[in-house]
Formats: sequence, C-alpha cells, structure tokens
Amino acid sequence: MSTGFSANMSFIRRAFQAKRRPTKLSKPHNRTWRDYALILVPYLWMILFFLLPFLIIFKISLSVSEIAIPPYSPLVTFEEGAMQIILHLENYTSIFTDEDGTYFRSYVKSLQVAGLSTLFCLIIGYPIAWALATCKPTARNVLFMLVIMPSWTSFVVRIYSWMTIMKRDGLINDILMGIGIIDSPIQMLQTDFAVYVGITYCYLPYMVLPLFSALMKVDYSLIEASYDLGCRPVKTFFNSLIPQTKSGIIAGSMLVFIPALGEYVIPELLGGKGSILIGRILWQEFFNNRDWPLASAVAIIMLIILVIPIVWFYKIERKEQEKLYAQK
Amino acid sequence: MRKNKSLIARIVILACALTFLYLPILMLIIYSFNESKMVTVWTKASLHWYYELFSDSQIGHAVLISLTVAFMTACASVVIGTLAAFVLVRVRSFTGESLFVLLITAPMVLPEVITGLALLMLFVSLGEIIPWFADRGIFAIWIAHVTFCSAYTTVVIRSRFRELDISIEEAAMDLGAGPIKVFFAVILPAIMPAEVAAFLLSFTMSMDDLVITSFIAGPDSTTLPMLIFSSVRRGLSPEINALATIIVLIVSIFTFFAWLSMVKKQKRMASDAAKAAKAAKLEQQRSTFHSKI
Amino acid sequence: MENTPECTADKQPVAASANNSAVPAKNAGHRPGELPGNKPSPTEQNLRPILEIKDITKEFEAFTAVNKVNLTLYEGEIFALLGSSGCGKSTLLRMLAGFETPTSGSILLDGEELIGVPPYKRPVNMMFQSYALFPYMTVKQNIAFGLKQEHLPKSQIEERVEKMLHLVHMEDYVDRKPFQLSGGQRQRVALARSLAKEPRVLLLDEPMGALDKKLREQMRLELVDIINSVGVTCLMVTHDQEEAMTMADRIAIMDRGQFVQIGGPREIYENPNCRFCAEFIGSVNLFDCTLISSNATQSLLRADDFTHLIELQHDIDLADGMPLTIALRPEKIYISHEKPEEETNWCHGVVENIAYLGDISIYYVRLKDGRIVTSTLPNVDRFKQGLPTWDDQVYLSWDAESCIALTI
Repeated sequence: MSTGFSANMSFIRRAFQAKRRPTKLSKPHNRTWRDYALILVPYLWMILFFLLPFLIIFKISLSVSEIAIPPYSPLVTFEEGAMQIILHLENYTSIFTDEDGTYFRSYVKSLQVAGLSTLFCLIIGYPIAWALATCKPTARNVLFMLVIMPSWTSFVVRIYSWMTIMKRDGLINDILMGIGIIDSPIQMLQTDFAVYVGITYCYLPYMVLPLFSALMKVDYSLIEASYDLGCRPVKTFFNSLIPQTKSGIIAGSMLVFIPALGEYVIPELLGGKGSILIGRILWQEFFNNRDWPLASAVAIIMLIILVIPIVWFYKIERKEQEKLYAQK
Repeated sequence: MRKNKSLIARIVILACALTFLYLPILMLIIYSFNESKMVTVWTKASLHWYYELFSDSQIGHAVLISLTVAFMTACASVVIGTLAAFVLVRVRSFTGESLFVLLITAPMVLPEVITGLALLMLFVSLGEIIPWFADRGIFAIWIAHVTFCSAYTTVVIRSRFRELDISIEEAAMDLGAGPIKVFFAVILPAIMPAEVAAFLLSFTMSMDDLVITSFIAGPDSTTLPMLIFSSVRRGLSPEINALATIIVLIVSIFTFFAWLSMVKKQKRMASDAAKAAKAAKLEQQRSTFHSKI
Repeated sequence: MENTPECTADKQPVAASANNSAVPAKNAGHRPGELPGNKPSPTEQNLRPILEIKDITKEFEAFTAVNKVNLTLYEGEIFALLGSSGCGKSTLLRMLAGFETPTSGSILLDGEELIGVPPYKRPVNMMFQSYALFPYMTVKQNIAFGLKQEHLPKSQIEERVEKMLHLVHMEDYVDRKPFQLSGGQRQRVALARSLAKEPRVLLLDEPMGALDKKLREQMRLELVDIINSVGVTCLMVTHDQEEAMTMADRIAIMDRGQFVQIGGPREIYENPNCRFCAEFIGSVNLFDCTLISSNATQSLLRADDFTHLIELQHDIDLADGMPLTIALRPEKIYISHEKPEEETNWCHGVVENIAYLGDISIYYVRLKDGRIVTSTLPNVDRFKQGLPTWDDQVYLSWDAESCIALTI
C-alpha cells in the first residue's frame, strides 16, 4: 500500500514554490449548469464507489453469517406478504464480550503500535525534514528525490528487504556479532520490534513530506530573534520551531497514524503470532473464516475509532486550503 | 562556528537517513546476483535468478494484468482528478462541497483493509442486481483503483490549478475563445506538468496496491503485488530479489528523468529571467535617450 | 463654474445617441489636460455615443458592488474610472467584459444590448492588470490568438499581426515568450493583443499596475499615443489619480459603487463637487464655515478656525447661517511674514514644520486654535526670497477664486 505518499504532493509543490507568483483569485465565478455537469462525474463516482460501500458494510454488519451466497443473512425478508427487518447486533456484542478478549486486545494493540510508530516517525522524520529544508536548493532537489524514491518502489518488496536483513543470519545479526556486541543471533523477525521497524520504515516519507513543507515556510528570522533574546537552542526549538510547524506535525502524524492503525501486510510478514493487529483480524475473519458480517462490524468499529483523527486531518487540510485562498 | 556545526549536523542526519532508507534495498539488489538459493549467504555472482524470473509465465501474466489495470486507472483518475480539481478551485462553495471534499480526502488516509472490504461488499451487492459486477475481473479492480487514485490526482492537479492566473482564462475568453477552446488551448498546456505527475503517481499506486486488490480480485486476476506477497509469505526467494532489482531500476530511471526535468525547468526560468532583465535594460536606455531629446 | 449642490453622477442627455451624423473623433495627438480651462463636454463636441450604461447594479451576497450607475462613453475618448480599491470600478469593468453578470440594468453598445452575450462574443477587448499573456505562446502567437478565433485567412492574420507589432514597436521580439520580456514590453504585447481584434471599446484594467514607478510615467504617454493613433474608444480603471489625469479625457470618481463626480481632469481638480472628491484628488485643506451673507457678486463666510472672514466672489445658493465647507489647495495659499492689507481671506499662525521634497517644500502652519494648515511653495522661490522658517510667525493668504465652497 502506498497511502499518503502524495497526500502530499501538494505539500511538496507548496514547498518548492516558495516564491511562487501571487495568484489572483477573484470571487468564484457565476455558476452555470456547465459547472454542475462537471462536478457530477467525480461526485457521483465518489458517492457510488466510496460512500455507498460504507453504507453497505454497515448494513452487512447488522446481519449474521450464513452458509449461502452471499454468506450472510438478509436484513429485509418477506414472509407471507409482510416485510420483516431483522437487525442483528450479535457481531458488535461478540466483539466486546468475547471471552478471551482477542478483539478488544487487538484494537488496543493496534492503537499502541500505530501511536508508537507515529512517534518514531516523528522523531526520525523531523531532523531529516529539517536537514532537507535548510540545505542548498540544488542539493535539496537531489536529496529530496532520494528520500522519496523508496516509496515509489513496491511496498511488499520494501518489507521483504527487511525480512532479509533481519533474519537470524541476516546483515544486522552479522554486524552485531562481528562487532562483538552479541554472541548469538537475536530473533528479530516475528517480533513486535520488526513490526515497529517495518511501519516506521514504510511510513517515514509520509511524515517527512508535510514536515518538510512546513519547515520550508518557517520564518527563520524568528529563530534568530529567539537566539538574539538569549534562548538556548533547545528552548528555541520548542518556543519557535515547533509552534511554527504545528500543522505539518499534525498532518504528518495523521498520515502515518490513520493508515498504520489498519495495517495488515507489515504485521503479517514481519510480526509474530503475538502481533495480532486489527487489520489482521479483519483479514482472517473475512478470508479464513468467511464471516463477512463480523468482518464488517470490525471495520465499522475501526472506522468509528478513526473518525476523530480523520476529521482532524480533514480540518487541517481545509484550513491549509483556505489559507492559500486567503493570500491573494 | 554555529553555521559549521549545523552543516555537519545536516550531513550526519542525511547520511544516516539515506543509509536507513537504502541499505535494505541495496542488500536486496546485491543478493539478486547471488547464485545460491540462500538469500543471505553469498556464493557466486550469476544472473541465474533473472533467467528464472523471465521464464516464469505466472509472473509475466501478473505483470501484464498489473500494467493494464495501472494504465487504465491512471487515465481515468487523471480525468476525474482534473474535473474535481477544476470544480474545487474554480466553482468552489457549491452545494454539498464539504461532503465532496471529505469523500475526496478520506481515501488517502483510510486503512486499506476497510476500503477494500467496503468495495468488495459493494461489488457483491451490485452483483446481485447486475451479474457483471460479481465477476470481479480487471474492471472491478480498475474501479477500486480509480476510486482511491482519484483522491491523489485531485490533490496534485488542484495545487497546480490554484497557481493558475484566472485572468489568463478570462483573457482567452475575452479574445473570442469559447469555454471548451479555453480549456484545451490555455488551461491544459498550463496544467500539463501536473497532469503528467498525477498520471505517473496513480500508475505507480495502482501498480503497487496489494490490500484493496486482494479483496476485490477474483481468482483469475492475480496482480503482481499479490503474486509477490504470496511468494514472500511462503519464504524468502532470490527470484523476488531479482524482481525487486528490476522494479528499483525502473523507478530510479523515472526519478532521474523527473529530477532532470526539474533542473531543466529551473535553468530555463533563469535564462528567461536573464533575457527579461536584458530587455528591461535596453528599454531603459531607450527611455533615457528619448528624454534627452 | 459654480458648485454642484449635490454629489451626483453626471447627467448628460442620452438623446444624442440617435444622432447619426457623427463628427469625426477629436484630433489625434491631443493630450488630455492640455486645453486651457474646461474642455467642451463630449456632447458639445458633437461626438457620437458608443457605449451606454444604464442603471447598472451588481450585488454580491453581502454587499452592493455597483449601485445604479449611469454612464455614456463617446466615440474615441479615453475615460477613466478612478477610485480606491473595493469601490466597484473593477466590477463595472468586468461587467462590460462579460465576466460578471449585472443584477439589473442594461449595457448598450452601438445601441445593442450586451447583457447575456458571453465574453467571447462581445466586440470589446480587455487588457488585464497582470497582462494575462499566454505563457506558452510567443509574442506573435499571443497577438494572433484572438484573430484565430475568428477563423480569418492566414494571410490576413499575418498582416494584422505585423501591423500590431509595428504599432507597439515589438518587431524585434516576435518569437520571445512572455517570461523573456521586460515589464513594459509585456504591457505593449498585451495592448497589441487586445487591439488586434479592433474592438469597439478597449477596456484597460489598471494598465500600469504591474510596472515599477519609473516605467509607469513613461508608459502613460506612450500608451495614450498608441491608443490615439488607433482611435479606439477606451475605458480604463485605475486607483492612481496621476495616471487618470495624464491619460484620460474624462474621469469618473467612484466611491462605494457610485459615481461621485464626472469631468475632465482639470474640472475635477479645480472644481470638486464634494468633500470626498476634494480630498481624493490631490491634497486639500478643509475648513468648516458658516454662511453669513450672499449676493450675486459676493459671499461672506465665517470659518471656525480663522479670525478673519472668507470672501467669495460669487453667489452661494444657501440660506444665511447654513454650514458649509471651504476647500483650499495647499499650492494656492501664499505664505508671508507681512500682514496682508485686505480685511478678508487670510489667517495667522506659526510654522510648525517644513518638509523638503526637492521640487517643493510643504509648510505645516499651526493656527491659534491648534489647527494645522498646509501650504506648498516651489523651492525656487523659497530660497531666493528667504521665506519663513521654523517657528516663524507667518500670515497665510489666498485669492477669493481659490476657495471652493462645498455643501457636502
């Protein structure tokens, strides 16, 4: 999956065109039927193929699994001429009252993994974005391309590459043993550690991009002013740089956190039996147990958890857009 | 002093970052030339696994499907993205605009398992009415890919659209060009770089998508990422190394050309500015000459 | 000229539009503001009206951008809409070009209704503030663009483009792209492009807006020369009064969607019809007064700030005791150490400050009641005569005809 990579092409563009000519945006022009005809195609497409599917899984999540085609009970039945609507809430109740608590634990674990990975991405990504934003323009172009390029290669291949170097006889163990830090190879694959590494590695560019564009817009005279007024670098960083790049930090975090919460491929390939994240549960319920209603219910709950961060992200995006409109 | 320090800091940071990003990929490439079946033990350099790769008809089939879907997806999502971007920038604040913006932003962040499941359920439900959807072949995959790629193309094209000077469109109209002519003669050339970027972007994303495709695809339409995934799940295989090397090579070539065009554009802008400055100087001389008379 | 008692738009008779025996346009090469005194109005010159705007109104959601504006444009004149930003001048221009649809009213071009006609079918062309040259086309392609839309034969297009290039002196830059041109050259290309289609009316939106200050002054007259040599009727929008005064034959001052005054450059400067115009064009000293007496040859006023009366040599059509405002341009106030002999039209104060501007100096004189009055003096005189300096006691005086009485 390559979610997010150019969520932020817009960020890149904004960043690169720091001294863009001011655009003259007049008031929205008079709306005609032609405009409505234009909007119709993308609008209908998104409603039909994006909004409608969610209504459908919500519907299916209220039915129960059956051995039939399709493998779930119908919501509306006609018996003796009367219409019957049966809503099953079993899927939801079973998720919460499950005996060994698998579902509940996996939601918590997913939140933990996504949250920590986001933090790692932020800690690693911020210095990278800073280094990119403050170097010479000619070098910046090259380095920027180099930082993004891995995300254009295949996602599965990138995870595969970590499988090869984290193996028992892989590069990392070889090096560690060569230096003499450890005597026998450590088990890295099939652990949570590998999952964190994998997610951090794969999602790092989506963190770097918005941070980079935010750092490009930073008014460095404020930092000089902070130094001038006697603040030490650490204090300056928290006083001046962090507040100025807040929107980039939030956007980047959302771009990592939201998709990471439902990540399936990374825990499947790098994680062990313990790394039961919610994405894996959903996949198993769907493909292995063929319990479509339960899988739908799992998805709906995940969606509910994600509503807040998604709306937050959406608001940040809109604010950025409005800002761009405002600067005539 | 401080400047020097920060330069060293930058170099160290970027060196570490690039090592982190490229070391695993580099190892993949190196071991793709290894003769041994063991991915981690080096025996002898050979192109054996490339030969294996090219004689694998299954991979060939998957590549063909992936390329077809990716090409169709890129075309359609560029069209949809252009329309959406046009409307978002030029029409703005129409009825149901916020819903539209939400619908076009959400696919970028939503976990793919959810999108994939939801789309599959849609196709199954539609399949009850129109059997064609139940088939879940290339076209179903195409629809799913266009849906999430359109979100990205919209973002890319919209940001270019916003930079366009609306008075250029008005000028064309003022000079007698109708709306359609204005689009093709004035707007399209101006947003062409974004259109190309959006095309390449959705092409790569469609090529690369695994999770959504796994939900949608029927038994006969296995795409390349699905094939790689199932083979990786079975264990490490040098053939995948060879495949990965080829993918990295292709992407690097494209990246190189993207960088080249960027540099060229900067050079052209610099030379244009120099020409303009020279013209301005000439004009100033002319004006002082005039005033002397 | 007496003052118009009210702030109203011009009320020229529109009847002349039926008159087809049009007199040829004024002489090419004429410079606005050159004629002594007030020019004859276009109707007196017997010019043919070309564009008639009647009661036009444009409302945006929250406010009215243009409010019941009437205007008649005559064949061959250069007309300027002058106003600060947001006064509705650009909206008016955009309605003429067809980019905005008026809420009500009508626009007649040669007697035919323009409203409802899309911009690409109107026989008017616009030169945009940013020039809006097509960045992917050469100078030649830019100029030819409009002609190509008319599907003219190739040879004819070539010929017309050549003519235009010659007109704006751009023959040497035919194959350049807009980004490779200087600001002045871009402007000339934009002008050529909008003139190529031989529009009935040329619309100029802030024609000098994108140029730097030095180039502006030079381009003003050059632009007027080109426009006059073609003889096209021209409507321009500007916020720069100098620009309007150098370029236009007639000027309309606009405020909050309405015309405040319409007239020649000299008329609006010398005879503003209200406080707004007086303050908008040039700088002015305004004094609140009360009318004491008025007859056919003389009016006497008492200003709150002065010890002496103000005398005007004409009649003011107001009842005695009514308040009004007197406007005095700084360059029309004399400054001197000696006490004037007359009984009226002078006051006394202390030089508070002097601003040296190179060609002139501005004196800031504080009157007894604290009020500051400005007076300008050419520096040629200032240093020759050893005129007042800081903290000097001075007398300010003026001629009776310099006073402009304003009722609003």
